[in-house]
This record gives sequence, C-alpha cells and structure tokens, in this order.
Amino acid sequence: MTELSKIRNFSIIAHIDHGKSTLADRLLEECDAVDQRVRAEQLLDSMELERERGITIKATAVQLRYAADDGSIYSLNLIDTPGHVDFNYEVSRSLAACEGAVLVVDASQGVEAQTLANTYLAIDAGLEVLPVINKIDLPSARPAEVKAEVEDIIGIPAEDAPEISAKNGINIHAVLEMIVRDVPAPQGDREAPLQAMIFDSQYDSYRGVIVYTRIRQGTVRPGMDIKMMATGAVYKVVEVGTMSPGGLVSAPALGAGEVGYITASIKTVADTRVGDTITGLDRPASEPLPGYRPVQPMVFSGVYPADGSKYQDLRDALEKLKLNDASMSYEPESSIALGFGFRCGFLGLLHMEIIQERLEREYNLDLITTAPNVVYRVTKTSGETLMVYTPLDWPDPMEIQLAEEPFAKVSLIAPQDYVGNIMDLAQQRRGEFKDMVYLDASRVELHYEMPLNEIIYDFFDALKSRTRGYGSLDYELIGYRPSRLVKLDILLNGDMVDALSFILFADNAYPRARKICEKLKDNIPRAQFEIPVQAAIGGKIIARETIKALRKDVLAKCYGGDITRKKKLLEKQKEGKKRMRTFGTVSVPSEAFMAVLKLDDE
Amino acid sequence: MPILTKRPNKTPLGIYIHVPFCRSKCQYCDFYSLATKDDSLIDGFLDAVCDHIKEAGELAPGYKVDTVYFGGGTPSFFGGDGMAEILNTIRRNFDVVSDAEITFEANPDSVSDRLLRRLRAEGFNRASLGIQSDSDEMLKKLGRPHTYAQAVSAYQKIRKAGFRNVSVDLMYGLPGQSLQDWLSTLDTVLRLLPEHISCYGLKIEEGTPFWGMRDVLNLPGDDEQAEMYLSAVEALRSRGFRQYEISNFCRKGMISRHNMKYWTGGEYLGFGPSASSDFAGKRYTLKRDLQAYINGIRDGGDIMEDIQEIPLRERAGEYLMLRLRTSVGIAAQEYEKAFLLPFAPLEEVLEKHRRYYHTTQTDTGRWVLTPRGYLVSNDVITDLLLAQDQSEPMKRI
Repeated sequence: MTELSKIRNFSIIAHIDHGKSTLADRLLEECDAVDQRVRAEQLLDSMELERERGITIKATAVQLRYAADDGSIYSLNLIDTPGHVDFNYEVSRSLAACEGAVLVVDASQGVEAQTLANTYLAIDAGLEVLPVINKIDLPSARPAEVKAEVEDIIGIPAEDAPEISAKNGINIHAVLEMIVRDVPAPQGDREAPLQAMIFDSQYDSYRGVIVYTRIRQGTVRPGMDIKMMATGAVYKVVEVGTMSPGGLVSAPALGAGEVGYITASIKTVADTRVGDTITGLDRPASEPLPGYRPVQPMVFSGVYPADGSKYQDLRDALEKLKLNDASMSYEPESSIALGFGFRCGFLGLLHMEIIQERLEREYNLDLITTAPNVVYRVTKTSGETLMVYTPLDWPDPMEIQLAEEPFAKVSLIAPQDYVGNIMDLAQQRRGEFKDMVYLDASRVELHYEMPLNEIIYDFFDALKSRTRGYGSLDYELIGYRPSRLVKLDILLNGDMVDALSFILFADNAYPRARKICEKLKDNIPRAQFEIPVQAAIGGKIIARETIKALRKDVLAKCYGGDITRKKKLLEKQKEGKKRMRTFGTVSVPSEAFMAVLKLDDE
Repeated sequence: MPILTKRPNKTPLGIYIHVPFCRSKCQYCDFYSLATKDDSLIDGFLDAVCDHIKEAGELAPGYKVDTVYFGGGTPSFFGGDGMAEILNTIRRNFDVVSDAEITFEANPDSVSDRLLRRLRAEGFNRASLGIQSDSDEMLKKLGRPHTYAQAVSAYQKIRKAGFRNVSVDLMYGLPGQSLQDWLSTLDTVLRLLPEHISCYGLKIEEGTPFWGMRDVLNLPGDDEQAEMYLSAVEALRSRGFRQYEISNFCRKGMISRHNMKYWTGGEYLGFGPSASSDFAGKRYTLKRDLQAYINGIRDGGDIMEDIQEIPLRERAGEYLMLRLRTSVGIAAQEYEKAFLLPFAPLEEVLEKHRRYYHTTQTDTGRWVLTPRGYLVSNDVITDLLLAQDQSEPMKRI
C-alpha cells in the first residue's frame, strides 16, 4: 500500500473539446507509463464507440507513478469523467473519489457551460480545483483574458494556472508538479471498518464484474467478505489491485486513500451501483458514504426487433448490456403493431443512441425504435396518480384531471451576438426565461426553465447550429409542472399503429401531425391500394396524407446478360420487404420509424 | 478433354454473339459497345470470337443449336462479312439445326441491300430493327444516328431481301413524351406490319449520359408510364399481337425463340465481351472489355468477369422471376417436380395478387401475370420469393 502522503487522486474536468482526453494522454506519456507503440488515439476512452464519437461514455481510472521534482515517487490516480450532460451523476461520483480536479479551459474559447457545470460539481464535492489553460499554441489563444475569466466567472485563483498545449506536449511537467503540490493528499484510517465508494464497474466475462473503487476508510484484501450497503449484495473478494495503463495489476491489499479495483465473482453490475459503499461483512461501517442515489432513466423508448422472430436475441443482448450498464433499464412491452419488445429507459438521448448502436453493432440486431418520451405524471378524475412511461399507457382524455411533465432548469452560454437566436429557439421550445447574466464583455449566460421533453430531442443540435457552434448547454431537473398534453395517434389505412403514437404539447399537435403524415407518406412504399395516412387526437382526425397505389415496379428488360444483375435487384427488394412490419394491411419499413424520430430537421 | 459430354443433347442450345461496335453511343444505352470501326479492333474481335467458338465446340461436342442471335452493339454496323464468318464458324463447331432461328440486330443507318442479301444467303432468317421512335426530334434527343425516314427505308430493304420474320424495337417513357405521342408512334410503326414488336420503357441507367441529366429530362412520371404501357398492350392486342413477355409482342407463332430461352431456363452460350452464358449449371459473364477479351482468348488467359454455379434453390427463385415475365407462367406440378419445394405458399401469394387483378390462371391452371401484374411484377415476384424463402423442402414427392 502506498503511503497516504504520496497519493494524489484527481480528475480532469473540461467543457467538451477543450482537450481533456489529450491532456490525460500527455500525463500518461510524461510519466512514461505508456508504451508508445500500443497507444490508441486516446487512451482512456477505450470503448470503440467512445473513440468514434470523441466523448467519454464511461469513467475509467489509471494509476501513474510520477517522480516529482522533490525527489519522491508519487502515485497519481487519474479518474476520468464522462463528458456529456446525460451522465452527470456518474461525473459526480467520479469526482467524489478525488481530492482535486484539474480544470482544463480552452485558451481561445474560455469558460463554457460545461466548464461551469463541472466546476460547480467539483466544488460541491469539496475538491481543490486547479485551472489549466490549454491550446495556447492556437493563434487565437488569449490566455491572460481566459485566466481573468476563470477568476471572475468561477471565482477561483488562476493567476498561476499553467499555460499548456496538450496537443504539442508543452508545459505538461508543470501540470504534474501542480497536482503533487496543490491536490491534497487523501486522508483515512486503514484500520477502521471498510468504506469504499464504487465509482464505476465493468463486466468482464472471465472475472465477472470489476468494481472500480476509492477506499475511504479501512482496508480490503482478497478473501474478505464484503457487502454492498445499498443493494445488500454480499461477496467474497477474489482479487484487488490497481489500474496501470497496461492493465490491471493485482496487489495484496488496498487501503484508505487508494484507488483500485476489486473482483469478487460478481455476476451483474446491477449489484455494484455507482455511488454505493462497499463495507466488510464482519466489521461493517456504521453508515454508508454520502451521495448515493439510484440512477433514474429519464428518457424512454420502445425497442423492438425489426424481425419479430429475433425477440429472444434482443432480450439476451439487453441482459448482457445491462451487466455493464446499470443506468439503463428495460421492461418487456408489447405493441399491437410491433409485437413483443422492450420499453427501455435511458439517461438521455445520447445514452439511448449509444445503447441502440451497441445493440445493432455488437449484437448484430436490426431494431425498430419508437419515438423517445419522458415520464409523464397523470392524475385521473378518480384521484389516482400514475406515471406514464409509454404512450400506450396514456389514459383516455375523459379520465385525465391533470397532466404534468418534467421541467428542467437550463443554462445556456454563448457570445452575445447569438442571444436573439437563442431566445427564439428557447421560446419555440416552450422555455420560460428566467434571467441573463453577462459573463464578460462579450459572453452571456441565459437561464430558462423548459420542459425536459423539449430538450431531449435535438435541442443541443439546434442550439449549436444557431450559435455557429459557440453555444453550450447544461440542464438539471427541477420537477413536474402541469401542462396541456395530448396523445397523437397515427392511422394507416384506418388502422391505428400504436407504436407511432406519442405524447406532445397540445399547441404543437397540428404542425407536428402534418409533418409526421408527410414523412410517413415519403417513407412507406406504395402498395397495391391507396393508403390514407392520418393523425388523430382522441379520435378526431387533424391531418391526412394519401399514399397512392403502386402503379409501376417492373424491370422492362431482362435478357441473358441482365439476369444476374436483375436477380440482385429483386433480392435486395425482397430483403427490404423482410424488414417491413405489417400493420393491418400496410407494410411499413423500419426507416419510416426512423424518419418519424427525426422530425425536427428543417 | 470434353467436359460437357455427359449431358444428353436433348435440349438444344442457343448461341449469342455480342458485337461491341456502334456508329455512335446512344444517350441512354448501357450495353457494352465502342463507337469505333478501327480495323485492328474489328479484326481482333473477329479472330477472338471465332477462336472462342472453336474452343467451346471442342469442350461441348455434338451439341445441337437451334437459335443464334447477333446482338450488340450494332451487328449491321459491324458488317455482313464478319457476321457470315462467325456464323460459319458456329456451323462448323456445333450442330446448327436446319430450322434454327438466326437473328441479327440492325440499326437503320447501317443496312444496305448488299448486307441484307449476304445475310439472307448465309441463312439469317430473323431481323430485329432498332426504330425506337417516329419523331426525328426525339431520335436526336436519344442520340440515335438516324431519322424515322431512314428507319422506314431500312425496314423495306429488309423485307425486299426476303426476311419474313422482322421485329422492331420501340421505346416509351421518353423525355417530354405524352401518352398521345406514344400511341401515335405505335400507330405509325404498326403500319409497317412487323411480325414482332418490343416496347421498352426507358430506364435511366447509371453511367449513361442520361443519368447526369435525369432531373432535367422532363421524363413522364410513373403513373403516366404505367398508362403508356397499358395502352400499348391494349393497342397491340386489338391489332392481333400476342403479349408473350413483359416487353415483347408478336403475331401468332412469331415469338423470339432465342430470347424465350432466357426466360424459361434454356441453355445458351455467349461469345464476345460482356456476353453471358448459362450452361452446364453455371452462369457466367465475359469481361466487359474488348481488348481484355481479345488478349485473353489469344493468350489462354482469364476472360471471365463472373462465374457462378447456381444451386437448385436459387434456380427455383429464377424460375419465378423469369417465367413470370412470360405468358408461359408457372405451374404447381412443374415447380414441385423440378425443385422439390411446395407450391402452396406461392399459391397463397398468387391468390392475394389475384384480388388486385395482378395474376390470373390459364385454362390449364398455369399462373400468369396480367398486364397490370406485369407492371408491378417486381412486387409480385418479391412477394413470391419471400414465401419461397420460408418454405421447407417437401417431405413427400
């Protein structure tokens, strides 16, 4: 075990694209911890998807051995944090495992919404926040101004913040020295009852769940019986150790102040919730560490196999994914239109896209996904209150006394030139303006309260496009508020397709209904008969389009030389038909569902 | 050593010669051909095709051949001497039966009395003339190197040379064409009294000059093209033509026997670049490159672009896809016997489409597509292919 005074536990926090992962790479290199040849683009983002999207989805940690200028060897534990608003809770738990945070600020862009949000999280977690000014190699860099910004806006001293370029490896040494000097050494009693906080876990098919943890009090050793205080699960420790850049390195014990991993033949990550406290079974801690809360999915959508016979495959895949991602939830659901599938809960839309992509890519499934929705709260005339997770459960309008939807407090930061655009956008999305603060001479932070439903679709993309990429966003749930909500139903050839129903704000119903009918008309192939596409609220038709009957679909020429090629064409058309779902009399390709999801792309 | 001797010579072969030369390239055409009359290429082609035929004849001795088809490209542009030499080579290496159908394709700008007399004397007995339209303006748009008057004159020359089986090609769905335009074209051309007519809907193929212009061509819409097709079927029927394939019509008994082989699973050998064969269970296509073909034949190298052994299950799909193009259609017993697959699942699909007047049954119980069914034949066929995919081989035969 490393002496407490020689341990530094820290995170790197930043707004997206400010260079967090690049800095992490440089720190690893500077500590000579990485074999250059086996370096992937960005070391800590190890999931394939993460690398493609350039964002960290899951937290990971790595231990560096650093020979400091003072002549001592320090053990630096870098705990990475996810970089998207969907994963705020994970961020908070990763931070809770540290004593300090390196705040990376882009020398030309300055303080952004996530810079603020993450800094506040770090300060709330009681961390020492150490600013670093990155990308000083850029011609547009203005480090002095950005330092002043950090002091003015965030209120932390930044005068001595290292000016670095992670990309070009400039001044990385100064960052390491700052970490040794300014991040407080951890404290704790290694003889006390065990208190270890889980900040991440990962399923490994050979060892079972690998729990990433920060030991607060006591010591954990192989052979010891441990208990997860929130879930109550009990296990016998098989192995403990630390995460070196090359992989897991086992150790005889982990003591207070240290960051490492525990394996204990755990079958599912559901038993190892992020934020939970591990204690000893024989000598338990009197209480868990503060801050645990079960993660609540906020966005729900129906996930169905495009080919109905693949239901079991989908179930197996979800089960496996769930082993690795406790924040996702799934419940069997059935739709008249789509048959058997699952109602899945996600932290946000990004999380939803990631899960869908993983299901399709890693498990080779073809999926139909219904429009995502938030959880609504409905009070019926009978006095009963219910939470509505799917449009399928929306009560008859006659039975609804009060409908409510979740609202969020939204913070938007952008150069002042875009204030008008942002205000327009927020208004369209039913945002209620709260206040506006000038962060400096040119940048403004606006606060709104807005229905979560309006944020989860494509608000972030819309914001980016209306602020030429300069706008940034952060939000936080503030509870339910009454709203005028209706359920919009879609009818194909007179039959309702339940999987296409969704709940929306009453005033948006007409334009939305028209658009959805148009989209469906464009995406549903012509059939042998004319197909009316209608949108209805409570039985009243509010929009209609017609798909004309198929008149011509023929290969005029087919002689000896054409047969192979024409055969392939027909084969392709046949495969397309296989992916279609038949609703009553109408065949709908899965692309039609996708098109309906992407309504806001004007 | 002959590799193809074990097959009984009961069903005769078709032979196709692809002549890859044209006066100029038409705007819509995606067949392989070169706009050239370069002597070395022409000679190279002639030698290569003849050598290739000899080679094939050695590998498949004693085969009867009952159809020979010179297509392209423009065989008439290539010339009578070359065609005669190729036909004679075929006769020397295969057993061309005395009543074989021997067709050549011709364009109005390259037929002369001399050429036609030569071909007639060599035993050619069927001509297929590319007319396409009766409007000079349209012919120009299409990039055809002739006028309608030239087409009429060519047709008359063909008759005068003694051809009693003449086919003409027409196109509909052309840029700016109206239903009236099309029906009047048909009317005009029918006055020539051909034995056979092919009517093709214009399809804009990738890689052709028309492809890049497709948005500005002012092409008739799908519904309009459907009208053009159905009216043509009706107009031809009322004048005594039988529709025996999606795009092909003829007077009684005058079907293209060669083309029919493609649709009914007959065997054929193709020679010349880009030509396809279906022979001894394999379907293959030769390289779409004249020089590569010539070199390959000369040096004994590879001349194949693609070769596939077609498994029975796939043949069952081809049976549906190809036969349903024709008035021969498909039949339960024939299908079950040939492929050991149940017909019942297909019957269900055929019945469903009968409700939309896409399918019907002949007096003998064979299923065929109606003209409306031909128009949406891809939809019907893919429905059938889906049903076929899901069917299990028969347990009892």
